[in-house]
Amino acid sequence: MLLQTPVYNLKQFPNVYTPSEDSFLLLDTLEADMNNIIQINPDFIVEIGSGSGVIITALAAFLKNTRCFATDINPEACIATTTTSILNNTCVEACNMTFLTCFKENVFDIIVFNPPYVVTDSEEVFGNGVARAWAGGIDGCEVINQFLKSLPNLMSSKGICYLLLIKENNPQKIINILYGMKFNVNIVKQRKIPCEHLYVLKIYK
Amino acid sequence: MLTSKCMKGVNIGYPLKIKAVDLKESEVDFNPDFISRIIPKLDWTVLISAANSIGKNENLPENLLPEYEKNTEFLKRVHHVLLEIDVVNGELICPESGRKFPINNGIPNMILNEDEV
Repeated sequence: MLLQTPVYNLKQFPNVYTPSEDSFLLLDTLEADMNNIIQINPDFIVEIGSGSGVIITALAAFLKNTRCFATDINPEACIATTTTSILNNTCVEACNMTFLTCFKENVFDIIVFNPPYVVTDSEEVFGNGVARAWAGGIDGCEVINQFLKSLPNLMSSKGICYLLLIKENNPQKIINILYGMKFNVNIVKQRKIPCEHLYVLKIYK
Repeated sequence: MLTSKCMKGVNIGYPLKIKAVDLKESEVDFNPDFISRIIPKLDWTVLISAANSIGKNENLPENLLPEYEKNTEFLKRVHHVLLEIDVVNGELICPESGRKFPINNGIPNMILNEDEV
């Protein structure tokens, strides 16, 4: 096991998403693809919507010679991420923002995003509290579609983005959109769990 | 790394000014290869003015030294300024609009209001 699941304690953070099957699938994906990640020699890594911070902390613990960043729209999640990184003796710089809107363009070599993907009413996407961690609106794609629009300006030329989806998001449709944007895309992992069929896309220039 | 260019009416939004209220210094393992790799990705002038603005210049030169990758002493000072100093409380200020982004507990709040985007 290359990537250890970090220790975390979310007792103080009731409005932060507890790591679940989707989080662990992303960790498994990153572990399975680690040789490719090491090969591009990443300098800057970021997780969008880092929540508890377990994924970016696992990467920071394993990839010592990188700078790891995290963003979350929920300020409580930013504190949870920082707390988890400190608990595991790693350094993750959390920033309270939407996607990567306030970072310089094309700086990140690795982007990891476990978006709010659950099919809900549109209103829930903009609600408060922990619902924002999973409420994805129509087809669960409202936040994902906004993210895809910004993707061309986020990654470095050697960058890789790992994006988690569920079947209801229509992964093939999203892959076609990405092809239209001249990205390369593979489904690198999928897993069926009760009630959800999860996918991880690997997207690169 | 951060800018305010995503704001309505802001063209470049870089570099953000830093106002530090509390600083924290910690120890991070020194890796000369990593620092040498990062330096070309930095805007050196911006780094110097950022370091000056928080009073932590560490005698870094105005211009980047030639063959810096062989100069361990210099790399150590860059390492310290880049990785070992955190602004715990303070603010980042947009150079064009003057919009302030508070930093609390080391976390900048860069959330924009709907009418700012």
